[in-house]
Amino acid sequence: MSNSVINNNQSATGPIFNKDFECASRDEIRTKQLEQLKKQVAWTYEHVPYYQQQLDAIGFKPGDLRDFSDVESLPFTDKNVLRDTYPFGLFAVPMDTVVRLHASSGTTGKPIVVGYNQHDLEEWRYCIKTIVQMAGVVPGDRAQMAFGYGMFTGGFGLHYGLEDLGCMMIPAGSGNTERHLMMIDDYKTTVLIATPSYAMHMCETGEQLGYDWSSSSLRVGLFGGEPCPPLLKHRIEERMHIFCTDNYGLTEVMGPGVSGECLFARDQQHIVEDHFYWEVIDPKTGKVLPEGSEGELVLTPLNKQAFPVLRYRTRDLTVVTTEPCACGRTTARMSKVRSRTDDMLIIRGTNVFPSQFEDILHNIKGASPFYSLIVENSTGLDRLTLKLELEPAYFSDSFAELDSYRQNVAEKLRSVLQVSVDVKLVAPGSIERTTGKAKHVEDLRKL
Amino acid sequence: MSIRQLSIFVENTPGQFARATSVLEQAKVSIRGFALSDTGQFGIARLVVDNPDLAAEALSAAGYTVKFTEVLCVELIDHPGELNRVANILQKADVNIEYAYSMMGTFVVCKVYDLEAAKKRLDGHPVRLVSQDDIMAFSVDEVGE
Repeated sequence: MSNSVINNNQSATGPIFNKDFECASRDEIRTKQLEQLKKQVAWTYEHVPYYQQQLDAIGFKPGDLRDFSDVESLPFTDKNVLRDTYPFGLFAVPMDTVVRLHASSGTTGKPIVVGYNQHDLEEWRYCIKTIVQMAGVVPGDRAQMAFGYGMFTGGFGLHYGLEDLGCMMIPAGSGNTERHLMMIDDYKTTVLIATPSYAMHMCETGEQLGYDWSSSSLRVGLFGGEPCPPLLKHRIEERMHIFCTDNYGLTEVMGPGVSGECLFARDQQHIVEDHFYWEVIDPKTGKVLPEGSEGELVLTPLNKQAFPVLRYRTRDLTVVTTEPCACGRTTARMSKVRSRTDDMLIIRGTNVFPSQFEDILHNIKGASPFYSLIVENSTGLDRLTLKLELEPAYFSDSFAELDSYRQNVAEKLRSVLQVSVDVKLVAPGSIERTTGKAKHVEDLRKL
Repeated sequence: MSIRQLSIFVENTPGQFARATSVLEQAKVSIRGFALSDTGQFGIARLVVDNPDLAAEALSAAGYTVKFTEVLCVELIDHPGELNRVANILQKADVNIEYAYSMMGTFVVCKVYDLEAAKKRLDGHPVRLVSQDDIMAFSVDEVGE
């Protein structure tokens, strides 16, 4: 991205929050991780009956953990374990010391509830401070929250971390886009916390109302809550004249603060390694893969007391590298999560990931980053329909032109995915911009 | 002589067209003619209004993408055989029509492939083409007379 896009004199990089750790040698980072991991496994074994049973069953005592290779014999934790122990079955501290609860959005079945004691909240703030500084946020910034508060970890998690860093928090919450725009203008907001699709909605609404983004005080977009397609991020950066980074986290291991994007290695995120031990596994066999292979990310929080989990299977597919970064940090970087093991659609026997659509659409002129996929099988056969928003400049009054555009998109999708896709063009702005997780796929198939 | 038609994307689901027409009502725009078409993959609403700029502004503010297209507008005389007479003139003048629809009164909108050529070829023929000003000035009362 060229500097001309930025309307503020501030340099792109802020200070590094904990330089001693984030820029340490890989050996130093690993030593610290192993030390923390030993303590965390011992804490978990001693305080959570479920884990004690699991470890006893395989004859593993906390003292048996001497090296990273020993971790591989520990059992995984998956979402089902968290559901089965709902609500407080995995809590490791007396309930009267738990000072906060959060819950996952629970798209299927019961939600997952997690708890934090004072120690955990302090460590969470540390993680947030680490990742927001990667994105160029500094004390004195004015940060406007467009996530909903509530049980979702994103709102409160980022709020308290940013406040602790010394930012002025503007807890606007989700919705009411025109009010958000007014606040940016009146309070001279410099940082916007939002889902990327909501940021785009704000951008479009502002443009329609004649708001001049190039002279806005806004400098940084901190995105989370849903995967951010690179195309969408670039569009927002160009149109809103801001730097956008997205950060990653999940309720089950803490919330936001697991990893964040710096301004050098675009579309990769530095893992907060003093708080999270990462592994990448083959989702089918559960075997740990060598560095550089794509696989499912498995996380073990290293400094949590109230709700510790061991080897949590995130279902998120990524590649992790420990090559040093141009930003100066030596902490490992994960490629941005584009797909989840459970996102995969099987259409007439062919595996299709929604992220593949994003990649193909990225290279088609006129295709906006907004789409939705509908799968149904009312005729007995799986049928995949893509609803695609056209960029306004590509809208035509001619049926022939629109139809040939549509067929061209369908043809490109078919040639890459090996699956035929019915493409429907919809009006710009008609696909929902969400304040929470964007829902790209609707699977209406009946068995 | 030609008039300005507005086109917008309208999905073929209940309430979609009503949403657009309510925007126009609020803007006090009068719709003189319209056509709705849908291929199954997408739908387009085409509108002829008294004040196209005002209509476009209101629709854009409501989030619609608006496309202007210059179209011919022919005024017919209300008696049997008139449409056939005009259709024959268009055919002889080699004016190729992409689509056409009737407006209020006896006006017909014709989208032609080559507007400038069509205007030249129709010059001197007994076909009354109307202007945007005519559309603007046209009042419902005249229809009753």
